[in-house]
Amino acid sequence: MTARYILRKFAQAIVTVIAIVLLNFVLFRMMPGSPERATKNPHLTPEFVAAERAKWGLDKPLFPNQLVAFIGSTATGDLGYSIKYRGQPVTEVVMNAAGPTVLLIGLGEALAIVVGLWLGARSGWGRGGAMDRIGNAFSLIFYSMPYFVIGMPLIIIFAAGLHWFPTSGMTTPGDKTVVAAIVDIARHLVLPLTAVTLGLVGAYSILMRSSIIDTRSEDYITTARAKGLPNGRILRSHAFPNALLPMVTLIAINLGYVVAGAITAEIVFNWPGLGLLTVQALDARDYPLLQGIFLLIAVCVVFANFAADIVYGYLDPRVRF
Amino acid sequence: MSVDPRDLARSTDEALVDARLQDATAVPESSAADVATAKRSRRERAIEAALQIRGRRQWAPPKQAKPGAPLLEVRDLKTYFRLESGTVRAVDGVSFQLDYGEALGIVGESGCGKTTTALSLVQILPPNARIVGGEVNLMGIDLVKKTENQLRRYRWREISIVFQGAMNALNPVQRVVDQIAEPIEQRLGEPKATARAKARALLEVVGIPKQRGAAYPHELSGGMRQRAMIAMALACDPAIVIGDEPTTALDVMVQAQILELLERLRRDLGLSLILITHDLSVVAETCDRALVMYAGRVAEEGAIGEIFRRPRHPYTQKLLSSFPNIRADRRTLEVIPGSPPDLRAPPPGCRFAPRCTFAMAVCSEVVPPEITFGDVRVACHLYPPGSDGAQVTVPRPNAIGASVPLVEPPPDLPPMEVPA
Amino acid sequence: MGLAGTELGAGRWSGTGRRARDFAARLLGRSDGLVGVVILGFFTLLALSPSLFVGPLQTVLSATGTPLEPPTSTYPFGTDELGRDLLNLTVHGARISMLIGLMATLITIVIGSVVGIVAGFVGGAVDNALMRLSDFFLVLPTIVLALILAPIILDVIGPQAEFLGIRATLLVIVIVIGLTSWATTARIIRSQVLSLKERMFVDRARVIGSGPGRIMRRHILPNVVNLIVAQAVLTFATAVFTETTLAFIGLGDPAAPSWGQILNNAQSAGAPGLGAWWYIVPPAVSVVLVVLSFTLLGNALDDVLNPKTGQRR
Repeated sequence: MTARYILRKFAQAIVTVIAIVLLNFVLFRMMPGSPERATKNPHLTPEFVAAERAKWGLDKPLFPNQLVAFIGSTATGDLGYSIKYRGQPVTEVVMNAAGPTVLLIGLGEALAIVVGLWLGARSGWGRGGAMDRIGNAFSLIFYSMPYFVIGMPLIIIFAAGLHWFPTSGMTTPGDKTVVAAIVDIARHLVLPLTAVTLGLVGAYSILMRSSIIDTRSEDYITTARAKGLPNGRILRSHAFPNALLPMVTLIAINLGYVVAGAITAEIVFNWPGLGLLTVQALDARDYPLLQGIFLLIAVCVVFANFAADIVYGYLDPRVRF
Repeated sequence: MSVDPRDLARSTDEALVDARLQDATAVPESSAADVATAKRSRRERAIEAALQIRGRRQWAPPKQAKPGAPLLEVRDLKTYFRLESGTVRAVDGVSFQLDYGEALGIVGESGCGKTTTALSLVQILPPNARIVGGEVNLMGIDLVKKTENQLRRYRWREISIVFQGAMNALNPVQRVVDQIAEPIEQRLGEPKATARAKARALLEVVGIPKQRGAAYPHELSGGMRQRAMIAMALACDPAIVIGDEPTTALDVMVQAQILELLERLRRDLGLSLILITHDLSVVAETCDRALVMYAGRVAEEGAIGEIFRRPRHPYTQKLLSSFPNIRADRRTLEVIPGSPPDLRAPPPGCRFAPRCTFAMAVCSEVVPPEITFGDVRVACHLYPPGSDGAQVTVPRPNAIGASVPLVEPPPDLPPMEVPA
Repeated sequence: MGLAGTELGAGRWSGTGRRARDFAARLLGRSDGLVGVVILGFFTLLALSPSLFVGPLQTVLSATGTPLEPPTSTYPFGTDELGRDLLNLTVHGARISMLIGLMATLITIVIGSVVGIVAGFVGGAVDNALMRLSDFFLVLPTIVLALILAPIILDVIGPQAEFLGIRATLLVIVIVIGLTSWATTARIIRSQVLSLKERMFVDRARVIGSGPGRIMRRHILPNVVNLIVAQAVLTFATAVFTETTLAFIGLGDPAAPSWGQILNNAQSAGAPGLGAWWYIVPPAVSVVLVVLSFTLLGNALDDVLNPKTGQRR
C-alpha cells in the first residue's frame, strides 16, 4: 500500500464530503421555502435573525454569494441554531448527542465483528451438518430483523417482564459517585447493546461463512494441507486472512446501515443519542438541526469508509495503486 | 545401486560428498567430473549449505520404517470419486515402485488419473474422493491405512508436492519466504529465525536472489513462483518430491530452466522424484523410468531408454508417434482417434481397446494382465504371459482399425537422443 | 439459461411454456425457493384483498374494543391503545407494506437498470460520471438520506397532495426509497453488461448495422432480464425493511398503518414498557417473515437464473 493509494482514497473522501455539503445546500437553500425554514426561529430575537440573514446573504443571489457563505459557515462549524433547543447552536446540540451514539454503535459494531466473523469462520470451515445449518438459520433470521424488532421483545422480556434491566434511557437521575455512574450506564447499556449486536452478528456471520466457503476451494489451501499443517492452523493462517478481505469491504458498506439501525434502536430504548435527536428534530421540523445531524452522520460514514479502504490496503498486498 | 542418501547427510567432507554423489546417482562420467573439478561458484556454496541443512537434521527415517524396504511401493491403488451422476473410477489398480534417488515420470492424457494417483499417496483428495483399495508403502509403512492425524507426519516431511500453476498454489497474502519457512517452523519445530534463514538458503538453491524472498507471490514471475514452490517442497528434506505438471503453465525457455533445476537438485541432494506430465519431452529429459497411464490404469512402465526406443503398448506407440521427431524423415502427425472412456462406466477388458489399432476380440472382454520382462512392464494382450516381450500374434485389421492404416510396430524407431 | 434469450442475440420467446415449467420445478426443488414462495404466496393473498379476510380497515372511529387488551377469542391479536383490532390492522398492514415495497422496488429497479445498462454500454466519461454518482449513493445509507429528503419533499409538495389515490407521506417514502437504493442494482447490472459487451464483439456479425438503442433493447436487455428479476426480489426485501424502519421513525402515514406504522404507534403508546407483547409481535413477525422469504427467494432465483460455474453449496 503506497502513499499514493492513501492520498487517492483521501481525495475521494474529500470530494464526497464536498458533495454532501453541496447536497445540504441544495436541500436547505434551494428548495422552495428554504430561507424561511432556515431562519424562522421563535427563540431568536428579530435583530439576531436579521443579522444571521445578512451573514448568510439570504437576500443575495444563490450563486455564488449564498453558496460561498454556506460553505464558509459550514467549514467553520457554524451550522445555525436549533429551533427545538431554544436557539442553541446546532453544533453544540449535535456534539452533545454524539457521545452516547458512539458508545452504543462503537461497542455494538466491535462486538458484532468479533463474534460474527468468528462464528461465520467456524461455520464455513466445518463439515456442515446440523449445527451449521441451525446456526445459519438463526443468522438469517436475525439478518431479517430490524433492530427495533429485536429491541422491543428484549424490553418486554428482560425489562418489563423480568425487571433485570431498566426499560429506557441511559441514566437514572440522581447524584452518583463516578463508579456508580459507570455501573448505571452499563446497566442501561446492556439491552440496547444486545439489540444492536444481534442485528449485526447475523449479517457478518452469513457473509463470513460465504467467504470462507469460497476460500476453501482455493489451491493454496490444498498446498497447506499437503504441508501437513493441522486444520486449525490452516484456518487461522491461510483461510481466514484471505476470507477477511472481502469482509472488510462489506463491513464498510454496512456502516451506513449500522448508523441507520442505531437510530431505530435509540428510539426503542430512549437512548439519548443522535438517533433520538433526529426523531425529535423531525417532529419539530427543526431544519437547522436536521441539517447538522445529516452532515455529521454523512461525514462520519464517509471517513469510516476511508478507514476501511486503508485497512483493506494494509491487509491485501495486491493493492498497489 | 541404491546408496542410501541418508549417508550423504552425515558427511560434511567435500570430497566424500562428491564421491557419494558419483555413486548415488550413476551420473555419466562427464557430469561427475564436472562436479569434482568445478570452481566453487556461489551456487555450489548454496547447494552445500543445503547439504548442511540436511546434515544438521540428520534426516532420520520415520520410526515405523522397515529396513530394507523400497522407498515407495504402490500396489493396486484404487481411488474412486463419488459424483451425483455416478462413481468415477479415476485410479483403478495402479502399481509401481520408486527407488532411492530415482526419477519416475508418470505420463498420460488429461484425466487419465496421474494427478489423482499422486494426491492419493498422501491423501489430500477432495472430500468426494476415497481410496477404495490397494497399498501405498512408504519405506514399508502402508499409508492407506493411516488416519488423517497419522498421515500428517508423512506429509511434506517424507513426500512433498510441487503443484502446477503456482499462482494459485501460493497464499497471496503471505510473503514467499514466510511460506517456505512455515513447514520448517511448524513441522520441524525450528525457531522462527532459524526457519527464515533456512528458507532464504533454499531460495538461493533454487536460484531466487535472497532479496526477492520478501516478495509476495503476485510480485514474482511465473518461473520464479515455480522455483519458490520447489524451494518450499524441499523445506523439510523430503524423501520424495512429486512434481505435478510443474512446467505446464510456463513458456519453453523457463520450462527448460526449471527442468534443469530439478535435475540438478536431484543429483545434488539425492532426491527421488515423481514427475507427472502429459509432455513426453519432459520425461525424456529428466526421468530414469516412465509410467504410461491410460484411463486410470497402467499401460506400460519401464526404463526410459526402453520406452522410447521400443514402445510396446499400442498407446505408448501412438503417444510417441504423435510426438514430432526432428530427426526422422517427414511424416504426418498421427492422431489417436476417439476419446478416453467415461470413467463412470469404463469398458470391460482393456480400456484402450475401443481406440486401439490392434484390438482383438479378447481385448474387450478380459483385462490384460501385466507382464514383466527385463526392465519393462506392459499390460496388453499383444504380450501374453510367457512371451518375452516380442509381439507374438500378428494382429488382423479390425472394424476400428479399418479406417486407420495398419501400422506395424517398427522394431527400431529412428534413434532418439535419450540421456543414458 | 433463463426465461428469455439463452443465446446472445434477439431474445426468443418461443418455448417459454416448457422453460417456465422447467424453471418452476428447479426453483421449488430448493428448500429456500420453496419456503420463499410459500410465505410470499401467503402474504400476497392477504395483501390482495384484506377486507375479504378481516373486514374493512378499522379506524379511530370504528374501533370497537377496549384499549390495550391482550388476545382474547374475539380479538385474537388483542387491541391497540385506541381499541382497534390488531388482527384487522396487521392484515391490512400487509397490503400497505407490500404495496409500498412494490412501488419502491419498481422505481429502484427502473433507475438502477437504466443507469447500469447505459453506464456499461456507453462506457467512457458517461460511465465514470454515473459510477461516481452511484458511489455517492452507496456510501450514504438510504435511511440517512431519507431522513433528510423526506421532510423537505413533503414540505415542498404539501401534505395534502395526492397521486393516484396515494397520499403524500406514503408517496414520499416510496420516492425516497427508490431514489436512494438504486446504486447496488446499477453496479451489478453494469458489470453484467460489461461482460456481455465483451462477448458481443465475438458475435459482431449479428450486431453490425444496428443502432445502439436497438442493440441495447434486443441484445443486452434479454440477457440482463434474469439478473434484474433476481435483483428485484432482493430489492423488495430491502424496500420493505426500509419502509418499516422509516415508518417506525415517524415518517409514515398514521392513516395508512403499514407494519412499521403499527410498531411506531406501539412505541408511542409505550407498549414495550407496559409489556403489551401482542401489540408488537404480529407486525414484527410479519415483517421478519416477509423480508426473510424475499431474501430466500431472491437467493434461490439468483442461483437458478444465473448459475455461476463452480458453485459449491
